[in-house]
Amino acid sequence: MPEIIVKPSTLRELWVMLPELPAARRYLAGGTDIVTADNAGVEPSRCWVDISALPELGAIKETARALFIGSCVKISKIEASAAVRKWCPALTAAIPHFASPSLRNMATLGGNAANGSPCADGACALIAEGAFIFLALKGSKRRLLLKDFFLGPKKTALKKDEVILGFEIPKRRHAGAYFKLGPRAYFGISKAAVAVTAEISGGVIRRAAVALGSVAPVPLLAVKTGAWLAGRALSPGSAALAAALVKTEVAPITDARSEAGYRREMCGVLLERALNSLT
Amino acid sequence: MKNNIIEMTRGFFNITVAVNGEKKELAVRNGEFLLDALRRHGWKGTKKGCDTGDCGSCAVILNGKPVLGCLVPAVAAHDGAITTIEGLGSVREPHPLQAAFVEAGAVQCGFCIPGMILSSKHLLDVTPNPTEAEIRKALDGNLCRCTGYVQQVAAVKNAAKTLAGKGKRA
Repeated sequence: MPEIIVKPSTLRELWVMLPELPAARRYLAGGTDIVTADNAGVEPSRCWVDISALPELGAIKETARALFIGSCVKISKIEASAAVRKWCPALTAAIPHFASPSLRNMATLGGNAANGSPCADGACALIAEGAFIFLALKGSKRRLLLKDFFLGPKKTALKKDEVILGFEIPKRRHAGAYFKLGPRAYFGISKAAVAVTAEISGGVIRRAAVALGSVAPVPLLAVKTGAWLAGRALSPGSAALAAALVKTEVAPITDARSEAGYRREMCGVLLERALNSLT
Repeated sequence: MKNNIIEMTRGFFNITVAVNGEKKELAVRNGEFLLDALRRHGWKGTKKGCDTGDCGSCAVILNGKPVLGCLVPAVAAHDGAITTIEGLGSVREPHPLQAAFVEAGAVQCGFCIPGMILSSKHLLDVTPNPTEAEIRKALDGNLCRCTGYVQQVAAVKNAAKTLAGKGKRA
C-alpha cells in the first residue's frame, strides 16, 4: 500500500490537490483490482487518490434519452437499479457473473474499465449496450464510444490524471443476454464471454450488437456479426450462422485460463445460446 | 483529525469507527488493511485466508454491506460502521444463524464460517425468505474446503425459518 492516501470530496478539490501529490499516483475506486496488483508488487504507486466519495461519480441518472451510470457506483447498486434492468438487459445479465457478492459491494464499472482487462464482464456488456464513456481532466471533458476506449491488454485511452466520470447508455428498448464460460458456474474469470443486445420486432432483428470478453486483446465488438444479424429473422438457423461468423472475428490466445482453439469454438456456442435465449 | 486529514502519531493513524455498535478510536498502521487492523485489535473472528479477495473468509459488514477486509485500506473505513462475527452473538447467546450452522453440522474446520455467516446475515436482512438458489448465489464468494456447501445452505434455510418465527412473535 502506498504511504499516501488522499480522499477529495469534490472533483474541484481533486483538481486543486493533484499538483501537490507524488507523480506515481493512481486513482482508487473499489480497490478490488489495484489493491491486489499492489500487494503482488505489480504497478506499485506512491499515492492513491480515493475518488470513491466524489458525488459527481456516484449516481445513476436517467434523462429522456439516456441512462448515465456514474463510474464509482457500486456494482451491487447497479444490480438493484430498476432503470438499469429496463434499459441495459445485457449488463443486468452480466452482473451475477461479476466477481462475488461481497466484491460487488466494493467494485465499480469505472474501475472495471480503467483496469483495461479484455475479460472485464462489465465493460464487455456495456460495449454491447452501445455505451459511451465520459472522461474529465481538469476543465476539459470528452466522450468516447466505450469500444474505442480499450487499446490493448491493460492499455486504455486514459491520459495521466484523467478521471472516468461514468457511462452513458442510449435509451432504446432492446433485448439482451450475457453468457459466460468460466472455471465454475459463478465467481471465476472467464475463458470466453458473449454479450448480445438486439432490437427485435415481428420476429426480425432490426439492430444487433455482439461483444466478446477474453478472446481478443480488448473487450471486442464483433462488428461484422452485429451487422450481419441486422434484418435477419431471429431463429435457430440465423443463430447458428452468426455463431460461425463470430468465430472468424475473434483473436483468442492460449494462456493460464484456457486454450485458443477452445475459446474460439466457445464464442460460437455462447453466441448461439445467447441469441436463442432472446425473445 | 484536522482539515479532513487523518494525522499520524508515532507511526499510527487514529480512525474513528463503530465496531459492533460501539464507537471506537482505532490506531491503524500505515499500509494496514482493515482485516489486519481488526485482528490486531482483538476481533479475531475475522479470518485471514487468501489475502487476495478470493476466499471470503475476511468478510465483514461495512456500512450495511459485506466487503472483504483484506482489500479495504483500514484508513478507508474511517467514519464507518463495521459488524464482525463477534457482533452477531456469543457462545451463550448465539445469533439464530450461528445456532443453525452448529445444529446443521455446517462447521468442520470453521475457518470460512465467520465470512459465510456474515454473507448469510446480509442475505436474510434483504431477503428474509430466500430460495436455495438465492442462498447459493449469496454465498458464492465464500469458499469452504471441508464441507461441500450442503449443510451451510440447510443452515441458512433453517435460520430464515427461526428468524421468521421470531418476527411473528414480536
